[in-house]
Amino acid sequence: MSEHVIAWLGAYHDGELGRRQVRQVEAHLEGCEVCRAALEGLRQLSALLLESPATSDLSPPEHFIAQVGLRLPRRPERPAWYRALEMAWRLTPLGLLAAWAIAQAVLVVSGATLIALQMGLGGEAAAWLLPVLTPVSAEVDLFSLSGSGLNDMRRIAGGLLSYGGPLGWGAVLNLLSLVVIGLLYWSWLASWWVRHRRQQL
Amino acid sequence: MVNSRSWPSEETELELITQAQRGDRRAFGELIRRHREGVVNVVYRMCGDAHLAEDAAQEAFIRAWRHLPKFRPRSPFRNWLYRIATNVALDVLRRERPTIGLDELSLASSAKGPQERVEEEERGEQVRRAVLALAPGSRTVLVLREYEGLSYREIAETLEIPIGTVMSRLNYARKCLRESLAFYLEAI
Ligand SMILES: [Zn+2]
Repeated sequence: MSEHVIAWLGAYHDGELGRRQVRQVEAHLEGCEVCRAALEGLRQLSALLLESPATSDLSPPEHFIAQVGLRLPRRPERPAWYRALEMAWRLTPLGLLAAWAIAQAVLVVSGATLIALQMGLGGEAAAWLLPVLTPVSAEVDLFSLSGSGLNDMRRIAGGLLSYGGPLGWGAVLNLLSLVVIGLLYWSWLASWWVRHRRQQL
Repeated sequence: MVNSRSWPSEETELELITQAQRGDRRAFGELIRRHREGVVNVVYRMCGDAHLAEDAAQEAFIRAWRHLPKFRPRSPFRNWLYRIATNVALDVLRRERPTIGLDELSLASSAKGPQERVEEEERGEQVRRAVLALAPGSRTVLVLREYEGLSYREIAETLEIPIGTVMSRLNYARKCLRESLAFYLEAI
C-alpha cells in the first residue's frame, strides 16, 4: 500500500488537484480506511459549517443602497494623470474659443487692410502687406526678378501664397481653420452634453 | 440611486463598472445590489455580529467606490470587493475587539454539556463561535473557501498571499475546527 495522502485530502476535497493527482488519491483511498475517514471528516466539517446561518436580518436592498449613497463622496478618487487629463478636457472649449477668435481677428484685419490698400489708404507701413494680400500673378513676378532685392522676394513669396482666390490662399486657409475650430467646438459640446446626461440619470 | 427602477438585466457587470468608474452613482448602486449579500456575509462570518456586519459592508462599498478608478478587470469584481470587505472586517475586529468578550467566544461544549437536546439553532451558533475563535488569517481563508466558494488561486489573489499560504492556513483552520467542533462532527 502506498503512503497516506492526508496532506492532499484538503485540496482533493476542494477540487484543487490536477487530474493525475486525483487519480493517485482515489487509487489510494480505495485501499486505505484511514484516509477515507479523514476525507469523510472534511466533508462533514464542510456540511456542518454551512449549518451556521448567514445573516438573517438584512435590511432591504434599497435601504442599504440609499445609506451607502448618503455616505459616498461625490466622485471616486482619480489618479493624478486622470485629473490632469480631465482639466485639459474642461479647458478645451476655452482654447478653441481663443483659437477661433485669433483666426477671426486675422481674417478681419487682413480683409480690412486689403480694402484699405485698394482704396489707397494705409500708406508706407502697410505697403509690405500688399503682396501677401493681393492676388498678384506669380508668373508676372517671376519675370520681374531682375529688379531683385528683398522687396521683390517678398512679392514673389506673397504672390505664390495668394495665387488662390480673390482673398488669396491665406484667407482660404483662415476660413478653413475657422470651420475646423467650429466643428471641434461643437463636437466637444455634444460629447459634454452626452456625458452630462448620463451622469444625471 | 435611491429610486427602485430596476436596471436592465442585460447590462453586463463590466459596463456597470466602467460607468461607475466615471462617477455614475446609479451604476454603482446596481453593483451594490448585486454584491451586497456576499459582502455582508463575508463580513458577518468574519466578525460575527449582524449589525456590525451591515455597517462594515457599507464601509466596504464606500472604500470600493473610492478606489474604483484603480480597479482593473483582470480578476473578478467580486473578488476585489471581497478583499476590501475582509480588510474592513479585520479593521472592525481590531477596533471592536474589547467588546467581543473572550467567554462569549469560548465554546459551550465545556459549559452546558451537549448531552442535552442539540437544536439546529444551537449547533449553528456553536459553529459561528468556533469560526470566530480562529485566528483572523485562517478565518479569512476559511470563510472565502467554505462560505464564498472561492478557489485557492482566487483566495490567493484576493488576499495577496501565496497559494501555499492559502493551503496551510486552510488546513490549520480545518484542524482547529475539527477539534473545537468534535462533538457535533461525531454526532453526524
Ligand atoms: Zn491512507
